Amino acid sequence: MVKGDMYLAQASDEEILKQGESGGAVTALLKFALDSGVVDAVLGVKKRDGNNRYDAVLDLITDPEKVIDCAGSLHCVSLNIARNVKEYLGGAKQMKIAVLCKPCDARAIIEIAKRKQINRDNLLLIGLNCTGTLPPVVAKEMLISEYEVDPNEVVMEDIEGGELIVTLADGTKIAKDLLELEKKGYGRRDNCRRCNVSIPTLADIACGKWGVKEGEKKTFTEVCSDKGAEFIDNAIKTGVIKVEPPGEDAIEERKRKDREAIELSNKCEAEDLKELREISLDDRLAYWLHMFDRCIKCFSCRDACPICYCKKCFLEPDRGYVKGGEVPPDRMFHLTRLAHDGDSCVNCGQCQDACPAEIPLTRLYLMLNIKLSPMFDYVSGMDVEQKPPLIAAKDEEASIDDIDIFLVKGEAGEVVPQQ
Amino acid sequence: MGEEVKGEFEPRIIGFTCNWCTYAAADLAGTARMKYPPNIRLIRQMCSGRVDPLFVLKVFLRGADGVFIGGCHPGECHYMTGNLSARRRYSMMKKLLESVGIDPKRLRMEWISASEGIKFSDTVKEFTAQIKGLGPGPFRHIETEGKEQK
Ligand SMILES: Cc1cc2nc3c(=O)[nH]c(=O)nc-3n(C[C@H](O)[C@H](O)[C@H](O)COP(=O)(O)OP(=O)(O)OC[C@H]3O[C@@H](n4cnc5c(N)ncnc54)[C@H](O)[C@@H]3O)c2cc1C
Ligand code: SF4
Ligand code: SF4
Ligand code: FES
Repeated sequence: MVKGDMYLAQASDEEILKQGESGGAVTALLKFALDSGVVDAVLGVKKRDGNNRYDAVLDLITDPEKVIDCAGSLHCVSLNIARNVKEYLGGAKQMKIAVLCKPCDARAIIEIAKRKQINRDNLLLIGLNCTGTLPPVVAKEMLISEYEVDPNEVVMEDIEGGELIVTLADGTKIAKDLLELEKKGYGRRDNCRRCNVSIPTLADIACGKWGVKEGEKKTFTEVCSDKGAEFIDNAIKTGVIKVEPPGEDAIEERKRKDREAIELSNKCEAEDLKELREISLDDRLAYWLHMFDRCIKCFSCRDACPICYCKKCFLEPDRGYVKGGEVPPDRMFHLTRLAHDGDSCVNCGQCQDACPAEIPLTRLYLMLNIKLSPMFDYVSGMDVEQKPPLIAAKDEEASIDDIDIFLVKGEAGEVVPQQ
Repeated sequence: MGEEVKGEFEPRIIGFTCNWCTYAAADLAGTARMKYPPNIRLIRQMCSGRVDPLFVLKVFLRGADGVFIGGCHPGECHYMTGNLSARRRYSMMKKLLESVGIDPKRLRMEWISASEGIKFSDTVKEFTAQIKGLGPGPFRHIETEGKEQK
């Protein structure tokens, strides 16, 4: 195997194959990673108490037999995987961990790793394709009012062809138009609408269902790094997964779906930011000040942000920017975060999910990030070797006098984060 | 801060200027009696690389109408790359201001070496005229720390 190789994979173990969302390859690989000592632990996602799919929890697993508890994909989730690795698992500095990650989780991990707060070398990133997650409480409401089903009857969710498809225990499938649901305030998390990385090729391997024929239990797997290649090679040698090359049509199909997902996200982005982009500067400022003044200064957005990197936070009163004991806080509160994180924001949506005042923070950050990306040739969270743009000045820039060089580059075009 | 001349709007501009170049250029402009508008208040920095984006934001939020940053020409920074980082931050700040709705034209950066007294006075003239055209900054009515008054 080398980077770029793709194949259809299937767990050899019958039970894993049965429990797996697609071909169970992910579960089989994770079990192998523990069995073979490639990692000390697996950070997986599972239903609370084994049955509540609207209350997903992270599980740090060291017993290979327990990996199967996490099999299956949970869509009604907004777990903060990256921040957990940084905060509660010591940045993976003391142990090797296989981390299950959607594109936003992986990108956030990469951004923290750049700031040396996570040790990327100790992580095996198992990427899952993703086109959206749902806020759990709102999702339950939606299932009752729109799907007219008991949320506890649901055994699977899926987003496919612009529809949100729910499968019930008795096998019934109900599909509804995703954008129609979202018009009513249901559907995906706000940031997911505008997320334009569906295949996490920045992880060590990227796994998904795209490219797999309807009804087949296989996992389409792409090898994305040398580490991923070595890992998969060993897994195949021990026989824990069976692999076959995907046909040209499967590869094409996966590409097409990825393209469609990006088109949809571009469409949603254009729609969601249209008004903010078109109104006058004065109106835009009035809008954001109004939003900022809803803030109760709970610090949740800061604490949720995987990128927030200062060891001693500038929002604390002793730093001299934001006075203590004032609500709503000085507007420096919000502008400081924007100045610190705007260039590296990965649109994971954690800040907005955490905000009790429902400030649409991700729209502000995305609006800035989209502008900065082409200026600095920088797509956040894609390459651990690429330094954050504000500290990435290169020696050759010393021979360029033009003060507006980055601004001019920015005008020239927007970067689409696809490799 | 200075009192407004009745009728005409007098911008308040804060200039963060590098000790080794723009601040010296301002000095030169002064001693050579080159006239430039008194609207700019200079805050000397040891390098344009010391100008934290937060300084710029704080100054705007506390009522400045414009912010100017002056640094050594690329290749001439006393700390090698301070000005190169400053240029990147300045570019980011332009977009940040625009994203929240503060006119990015209110922020300007120039390279002005110690011998460019004329460039300094011309830049200040131009920038002051531009800010006059834009009118008072969005937080102009704020007079004291954090307290808003009309
Ligand atoms: C929210 C979500 C959306 C997805 N959307 C697409 C898509 O649009 N197109 C596509 O091709 N594939 C998508 N997938 C991937 C697909 O559903 C399968 O996970 C993948 O094909 C692997 O199948 P498997 O049988 O090998 O995995 P399994 O063996 O079933 O293992 C699944 C693993 O996923 C982890 N997991 C479950 N939920 C989450 C979560 N919310 N966040 C992080 N990790 C989780 C578990 O820890 C488990 O280890 C999505 C997955 C998720 C979680
Ligand atoms: S932000 Fe993107 S990768 Fe993350 S959950 Fe939403 S759609 Fe998936
Ligand atoms: S999460 Fe919302 S309310 Fe809490 S500090 Fe952040 S912006 Fe303010
Ligand atoms: S020393 Fe003047 S800009 Fe760095």
